[in-house]
Amino acid sequence: MNEDLDFLVIAIAQGDVHAFSRWLASAEAPLRASLVRFATVVDTEAVLQEAMLRIWSVASRFEPDGRPHGLLRLAVRIARNLAISELRRTRATPVASEILAEEPEPTAWAPPDPMLQKVLRKCHEALPDKPKEALGARLASQGAEPDEVLAHRMQMRLNTFLQNITRARRLLAGCLSKHGVQVDPELLS
Amino acid sequence: MTQPPIPPQTPDPEDPLVEQVASAYRPMHPTRIAAHPIWHDLSAHGRVRAFELATALRKVEAALDPEGLSSTARAVLSRLR
Repeated sequence: MNEDLDFLVIAIAQGDVHAFSRWLASAEAPLRASLVRFATVVDTEAVLQEAMLRIWSVASRFEPDGRPHGLLRLAVRIARNLAISELRRTRATPVASEILAEEPEPTAWAPPDPMLQKVLRKCHEALPDKPKEALGARLASQGAEPDEVLAHRMQMRLNTFLQNITRARRLLAGCLSKHGVQVDPELLS
Repeated sequence: MTQPPIPPQTPDPEDPLVEQVASAYRPMHPTRIAAHPIWHDLSAHGRVRAFELATALRKVEAALDPEGLSSTARAVLSRLR
């Protein structure tokens, strides 16, 4: 299992944004993975972001239970409860029992791959201008603006902007693959 | 850049929607972060594709970020309350 992130709890509880950033960088992948069974019924990205925000709000009241990954387990529980609340709020039909099942324990997650980082930066540098600009606009917006706004700012039609995003990820995946880095097939979709 | 071979794709009418929903953009409502408006227009298959694409994209974004943060993490940090 991965490094226990609970050593960051005290700093996060004291409002240390840097400590929370470190926690987010490691906790995001297992937290997102815990929501996979909700993917068809709620917008898991919104649930994930809301769960992370709530962890920031409740960290000062977090009480460890002596087991590792306590804050991450709390985040998984919060995310699950948010997903179920959202599901009940938006659906008239009963919720399938497998979705309501107990939350899973966080599973092991892959730490950042230094090889991926090194090669990816090279591949990113080598992207053609338009795909690189579109991807850069997305990253710079930090999730604050919809693609329509980013496209408009770049004087592109929305479809052209999206085609450039698609092209950027496919080119990055192809370049990584060429350098022997295993890539998620979704990047080529 | 020598462009790597990219397998031919069969366009799916949901592709532009999936691409948008896979981004980290989510509107902020007064009390919570809301679903992407387009998420509701996706089929179940499209929603799974968006989930999987977002998972893969965040890994790339984090690897490109000097602090290892994805656009999801950056969105959260910009909204701390």
